[in-house]
Amino acid sequence: MRNILSQLNKTNGVRGSMVVNRDGIVVASDFSIEVDESGVGAVTSSILSALEGALKRINMGRFSRFIISGSESKVAVVDAGQAILLVMLQQEVNMGLVNVEIKEAANAVRANSKM
Amino acid sequence: MSLLGFFSQWRSSSRIKSLESQLQGRPTPQLYLQLADAHKDAGNSTKAAQVLKLGAARFPSAPEIIRRQAEAEKIERENEKRRLIDKIQTHPNPILYARLAELFKADNELEKTIDTCQRGVKAFPKYGGTYLVLGQIYVEKRQWQEAVAQLEKSVDLDKYNYLALKLLAQVYMEIGRPADAAQRLEDILYFAPGDEAILELLKKAKEGAGQPFEQKRGSNVEIVRGSGPMETARKPAGRSGLGLRAVSQRDKALSQGVQNLRTVNGVTGAILVDQYGLVVAADLDASIDEGLAGALITNIYRTASGNSVKLNVGQFEEGLIEGEQGNIHILQLDEMILAVFARADVKMGMLEKSIRDFAAAVMQIK
Repeated sequence: MRNILSQLNKTNGVRGSMVVNRDGIVVASDFSIEVDESGVGAVTSSILSALEGALKRINMGRFSRFIISGSESKVAVVDAGQAILLVMLQQEVNMGLVNVEIKEAANAVRANSKM
Repeated sequence: MSLLGFFSQWRSSSRIKSLESQLQGRPTPQLYLQLADAHKDAGNSTKAAQVLKLGAARFPSAPEIIRRQAEAEKIERENEKRRLIDKIQTHPNPILYARLAELFKADNELEKTIDTCQRGVKAFPKYGGTYLVLGQIYVEKRQWQEAVAQLEKSVDLDKYNYLALKLLAQVYMEIGRPADAAQRLEDILYFAPGDEAILELLKKAKEGAGQPFEQKRGSNVEIVRGSGPMETARKPAGRSGLGLRAVSQRDKALSQGVQNLRTVNGVTGAILVDQYGLVVAADLDASIDEGLAGALITNIYRTASGNSVKLNVGQFEEGLIEGEQGNIHILQLDEMILAVFARADVKMGMLEKSIRDFAAAVMQIK
């Protein structure tokens, strides 16, 4: 799992990433900045809960991804099957370029989680 | 602008960019203070206050940043009060009364809070937000029956009002009516499934009422469909999203703007809600309950923005949710939240431009 994150983190604009299970427990992480990993894991679980319920109620189908843009940076919360991939990004990141890498990483995490 | 003025502005801008860049790497309380000072020197006290708020959230034990943040917030509140009082005179709407009342409440000016709420209720009796603020005041004064009366009115006007429902449940617990509390908490779970805080309260309420409680942790879709407290979460009774529906020129302009968004190719709906989740304007598919949609969007916004510092993104600005069958764009506009629903094949560039145009127009609407 760490190899997947390490590879993803080489992408321009990515500041770090982690994999959490759906209860918010950290499975693996790789950050170049200081992060409260268990706190972020717990928050991810809360956000996922709110999102999945909402999407179900308004017929948008299964949750795929949530990109949060803030005043300092961005974060992507991505469905990876039994786990969730969280990617921290620079504010000015080119999402078009980084999307492909994130999708590949999520697929790799999904495959890895099934093992 | 003179050459000196230009140079001064360039230097200020460079300093701000440098500090922001340093904050992205290794944030410290000192850096937040320096950035706040830089914004203040550049004449942007609002931005300075925002930076201090972020710094205080990140470093709650740093005394200087806490002190400066409290000072800056007080100044911002006074400026905002003046602005709202002027706006109420010229272009009143119920959100302004509720917002002004909240500002008085934040400074413990309880009589002014009640007076503002009562004027707001008199001018806009069908807006639930003002009754919520009144309910909050009576809770602080421990006048439970008055609190119940106001909160029930708020909930009756908008059955998806998370804050009102939660506070009402807490008051019911206080006055020994746990079964009523449980009912209100289950109402919340209908549109905010998996809300940990509500589940905790529900557990206590059910215990108090002698009712069984079966807690399911986790956030999967199955929870919404499955057995246990989630399944008993019922669709709340009462009205939905009456809010502010197009009575003033402002409301009509907002409604028109939301309808215009829906004409963008790929957009399937749009909704604008206030800080309480009450619908201001909406144009949605007929199969979607707009009050419910407003509550769901507010729940997502509240969860994301409330945790934005912990996620290291700073202050929440916008969100993009992608589902199998479509997307939802969420962003904060002034005191409101806009959500735009779109098909998965929508042209993002065009959509984002339309949203920004609408956001700019909203800021101009009086």
